[in-house]
Amino acid sequence: MLHQIGDQFINGLTLGMLYILVALGLNIILGLMGVINFSHGSFFMLGAYVAYTLQSHIGFWPGIFCAALIIGAFGMLFESSLIRPLYKRIPEYTLLLTYGAALIFEQVVRRIWGDIAVRTQTPDYLSGSVSFAGFEVPIYKDVFLVGITIVILTGVWLLINKTNIGMIIRAGTRDAEMVRVLGINMPLVFTFVFGIGSFMAALAGALAAPVYAIIPTLGSQWIVLTFVIVIVGGIGSFWGAVVGGLIIGVVSSLMELVPVIGPLSIELSGFVIMAIILLIRPRGIFGVEGLFE
Amino acid sequence: MKPPPAPKWWLDLGLMAAAFVVLPFVMPGGSLDLNPLYFQRLPFHAGFIDLGTTVLAFSLFAVGFNLLFGHSGELSFGHAMFFAIGSYATALYTKGFTVYIGTSPLHHDPVSNLWIALILSLGLAALWAWILARLIVPRSSGIYYAMITLAFAQVIFFVAFRWSDLTGGEDGIQAISRPQLPGLPPDWMQSGTNMYVFAAVAALIAIAVNYWIVHSPFGSVLHAIRENKQRARFLGYDVNRYRVNAFVLSALFPAVGGWLWVYFIQAINPDAASVDYSGRVVMMSLLGGIHAFIGPLLGAFVYWDLQNSVSQVTQYWPAAIGLVFVVFVLAAPDGIAGVFEVLRRYGIKMTMRRTVEPADETDATTGVGS
Repeated sequence: MLHQIGDQFINGLTLGMLYILVALGLNIILGLMGVINFSHGSFFMLGAYVAYTLQSHIGFWPGIFCAALIIGAFGMLFESSLIRPLYKRIPEYTLLLTYGAALIFEQVVRRIWGDIAVRTQTPDYLSGSVSFAGFEVPIYKDVFLVGITIVILTGVWLLINKTNIGMIIRAGTRDAEMVRVLGINMPLVFTFVFGIGSFMAALAGALAAPVYAIIPTLGSQWIVLTFVIVIVGGIGSFWGAVVGGLIIGVVSSLMELVPVIGPLSIELSGFVIMAIILLIRPRGIFGVEGLFE
Repeated sequence: MKPPPAPKWWLDLGLMAAAFVVLPFVMPGGSLDLNPLYFQRLPFHAGFIDLGTTVLAFSLFAVGFNLLFGHSGELSFGHAMFFAIGSYATALYTKGFTVYIGTSPLHHDPVSNLWIALILSLGLAALWAWILARLIVPRSSGIYYAMITLAFAQVIFFVAFRWSDLTGGEDGIQAISRPQLPGLPPDWMQSGTNMYVFAAVAALIAIAVNYWIVHSPFGSVLHAIRENKQRARFLGYDVNRYRVNAFVLSALFPAVGGWLWVYFIQAINPDAASVDYSGRVVMMSLLGGIHAFIGPLLGAFVYWDLQNSVSQVTQYWPAAIGLVFVVFVLAAPDGIAGVFEVLRRYGIKMTMRRTVEPADETDATTGVGS
């Protein structure tokens, strides 16, 4: 039993890492621009599919990073052409627009890659598993994936907290109007941040492709979970996304072990956590009161 | 300046009733449709009238949604949960079920009483809406509200999906019998045309109630809250109480829609609570126009028309609907009704320019008008 709990815990940790990558991008975009990007799940899915196609030509790691870069650039184009005209209106319209776009992306993926699940292959040196404290731990899934995520998270943390652009992002999250008045080119910053967010979503997708089956409806499945994580963690907060992602990932994995009701409520557990958090901390664990209300 | 003319309820609802009579004939494949290709390609082999019934059920769904988005300014991205609650309540009540809670069985025999099914649908939807509203409304608004409603709709979806003993899981519930109406032959509802007539009468009553809510003092307060929450609060209105009430009321119409829908298609599955359905109703309302009373109905009609036509041509039809939706969000956020309104105003301006030149000038100098 203890062994099973350990296994599920590690599974949850891996899943949580991917959740963090996706939710963090969404959360930074949401915090800075007030845009709920419904297409964020689509970028996650597109990252996986583009990596799948690229990897057969240019190899495993270049495939992953090129896919993330392509989707990141695509995200910047998407923001500057379609979302930018909507900043004048109430924020709900950006949700509506990105919802429509997500419908289109899903069908485009169906058209190009079909309805059947695809799965990418890891290189030989990453397949197999290592023994650690009595557990058989798959190298790619539970060692590399977690390691890479931590490296990326460190990078994003440094970007936000130690650079000039990060200072603009943090100030803009508090009051974008004021930052603009001070002479910062906010549209450019918005586009850049949207690109970073899309890059992270696509990277998560490309990293997840060897472990989870990739299907065209993946985008809409993940976007709802990402919303739950953002609500649990708190809008616009770096640590909110991290803690929220870990909680949801680990709890939903551990639920599988609970007798009788467990397997029936894997998905539900996240929503129950969300409801509890809403009752005791309406703005999420790390949320700030008064943001976007 | 003249005050805007008072809305003539008998004119609006009369037009609506007339539209319901005409509706089946103008659906693709309807008998007035002159394109023979449409007729051959119909997916509903039973005919055009069934598409009309679908539009009716979904227009109720849409007017409920729009009571929140159009009239209170709050986007609920999870309204399909109430549609699903109405559908499942009706389906389970009509079909009967046996579930085990622990080891003790809970059994319900099939009953075919449409009024009790309606009351159950409304009651359960209202109860769930009230619980949610008490949880959500004081704690969120704006985009947060949209995300939270979407997340809670997924709760209903997963309950329907996972609790297979009760709901039949992924397959849902099939072969739900249509009810009998008192005083009519037992198989009266079996015919598609009669089903349409029944649905049209029910929809017209529900829409009249919605019309009354929107144009009542309560509706005016909702409009005030939409325009400026803080000002409404300063005027002495308990804003959150109004928002809770609006949420509960807006849940009732999708429940009636679900009730009709189950009797019509005689089956239900968890998709009814999915993000897809919640998104559909958002698209319908926006396509029709959220600020016009007729908007959501018009949107339901246009949406099903579009889906029905495009799905004949390509299996990737959601992309086409998504594209139309994106264009509307960007270029015509007030939907088709908004486009007509702009044209109408333009027409009035043109007529005024030709006939009453001076009146137009005073308008321009004082800045009053439009």
